Amino acid sequence: MSDFWSFYIIAIVVLNLVGCAFLLFANLRMTPEETRSETTGHSFDGIQERNQPLPRWWLYLFVLTLLFSVVYLVLYPGLGRFGGLLNWSSVSQWQEEVAWVNKQTEPLFEQFAKVPIEELHAYPETRDVGGRLFANNCALCHGSDARGAKGYPNLTDDDWLYGGSAEAILTSIRDGRHGQMPPMAAAVGGTDQAVRDMALYVQSLSRPAIKDKPEVAASVERAAPRFAVCAACHGQDARGNQALGAPNLTDGVWLHGARLEDIETTIREGRSSRMPPHESVLSEERLHVLAAYVYGLSQP
Amino acid sequence: MANHHAVIEKNIGLMIVLILVAVSFGGLAEIVPLFWQKATTEPISTLRPYSALEMAGRDVYIREGCHVCHTQMVRPLRAETERFGDYTVAGEDVWEHPFLWGSKRTGPDLDRVGLRPITEQWHREHLRDPRALVPESNMPAYPWLQHATVDWSTMARTLKVFQQQFGVPYSDQDIEAQMAKVGGEWADATEEDALVAYLLSLGQARREQRP
Ligand code: HEC
Ligand code: HEC
Ligand code: HEC
Repeated sequence: MSDFWSFYIIAIVVLNLVGCAFLLFANLRMTPEETRSETTGHSFDGIQERNQPLPRWWLYLFVLTLLFSVVYLVLYPGLGRFGGLLNWSSVSQWQEEVAWVNKQTEPLFEQFAKVPIEELHAYPETRDVGGRLFANNCALCHGSDARGAKGYPNLTDDDWLYGGSAEAILTSIRDGRHGQMPPMAAAVGGTDQAVRDMALYVQSLSRPAIKDKPEVAASVERAAPRFAVCAACHGQDARGNQALGAPNLTDGVWLHGARLEDIETTIREGRSSRMPPHESVLSEERLHVLAAYVYGLSQP
Repeated sequence: MANHHAVIEKNIGLMIVLILVAVSFGGLAEIVPLFWQKATTEPISTLRPYSALEMAGRDVYIREGCHVCHTQMVRPLRAETERFGDYTVAGEDVWEHPFLWGSKRTGPDLDRVGLRPITEQWHREHLRDPRALVPESNMPAYPWLQHATVDWSTMARTLKVFQQQFGVPYSDQDIEAQMAKVGGEWADATEEDALVAYLLSLGQARREQRP
């Protein structure tokens, strides 16, 4: 701040205080003639306005506010460039707050970092600390209860796209994942019927009962040999491949929905789901606690 | 002292003038000097002007009243910087006309939302139906944005106004390049495309740099 603006601000602030003090004390004293009379001379409908000085305690409150502002201006910034004896600023206050919290939490996180994820998940602190980290960073996609949404996997069940080991979970969170399935309509025959046949086939893997209908059974039969093109990723037995994030299609757990239309959409348009990496936004210690939290969600 | 205040009390014009003088002190000391301070008038070095697409998204943001529920102002308080990212500095907003700081947080602050690990896909799904992703959300759905194409008719003028009236350093070539994209790859962009581009741009000036 330049000298001019500093002086300008000081001048206004001081003028303001002096002005307030002047107004206060100038209005305290009354003229002899006013003091003599009991009323101000105002009369409304015969009601007389009495002439009383301010109560003393009220006056002292005024004086107190003036004193307060003087003390404040000495301690805190307010007079131009003069930063106050306490050297306070909103940024320094923030830095102190952050440093104070870090001092409390760093040792905790360091302690957690030494405990393997497979043990840490059972600590009650993991539920508290991990739960907050999860609410803040993950709930928008995976849900506040971690049960996921369409296209965002449920993290509380035992069904994993990329594996449920501590290492796999940590990798998912730290480095992110990108599950890609190309559009497969052409590969299954190209026609709407072919896509429908394949969708029914996929559905029948977890719900064999639908094959009781003869027309469904016929569809499934037509599609079965074509599943070879899917097996490259989903496996011969359709139980998925965690290296690719290709889901198990036999377990009745659906990432993109259980309805026939959802499965058809997947086959026709393919899917591309991204779990963003969190390495740059969360420290290694926090990732560790989060992984333990997620690991614990599916433990009995 | 004589009853001088009676003079003021009996002259409403004089009273108005004196009241205005009295209340102006705060503004004179706290606001006026800011117009001449570097910290409030100079952009931070990493700031870059909005692209035409982001500008169009910003217009949608204003039209739909997103700023009524979302702030774009992270205060220097630990709870906020922990959740949203670095606190906002004045130099980030010198090209904001009007600024969109907001005053009420029904939803989270968005000043750093472009730095959060949130995918474009999520933004689109969330705008179409927030409750499909966040069942507890009370944010309105904006499903029509994906079908409405951006009205580009005023964009050339908008960029000129920002350049000439607000001092945003678009060069004439910049504006030409932006308008070429408006006529080309962005010609059929939807309002959702524009809004998501705008959301993803928020906070980018602070990706690496802390002032
Ligand atoms: C922008 C949305 C988004 C955010 C934020 C997000 N995730 Fe994910 N996550 C996904 C998607 C989508 C997948 C599935 C990826 C795929 O299909 O390949 C996924 C997958 C995962 C997996 C692997 C699941 C499996 O079955 O193998 C884990 C573990 C996981 N996320 C944990 C987290 C944690 C912990 C956080 C918070 C730090 C988080 N995610 C934040 C979208 C997100
Ligand atoms: C290149 C590897 C690949 C091939 C080939 C492939 N898929 Fe997929 N599929 C995936 C991946 C990866 C996912 C998970 C997508 C995601 O993460 O969003 C997936 C998801 C699916 C889903 C959704 C599962 C759910 O839980 O919602 C279905 C259904 C499916 N595939 C069926 C098929 C069928 C049928 C074929 C053959 C016509 C096929 N896939 C071929 C990789 C493949
Ligand atoms: C009625 C208030 C309201 C309005 C209006 C509103 N939102 Fe929201 N918004 C919320 C709430 C509440 C949340 C938190 C829950 C959620 O994620 O849906 C949220 C979350 C968000 C998020 C996720 C931010 C994060 O960090 O998790 C984005 C992005 C967002 N809103 C963008 C917008 C945009 C763009 C508009 C205007 C088109 C808008 N919002 C209008 C209330 C609102």
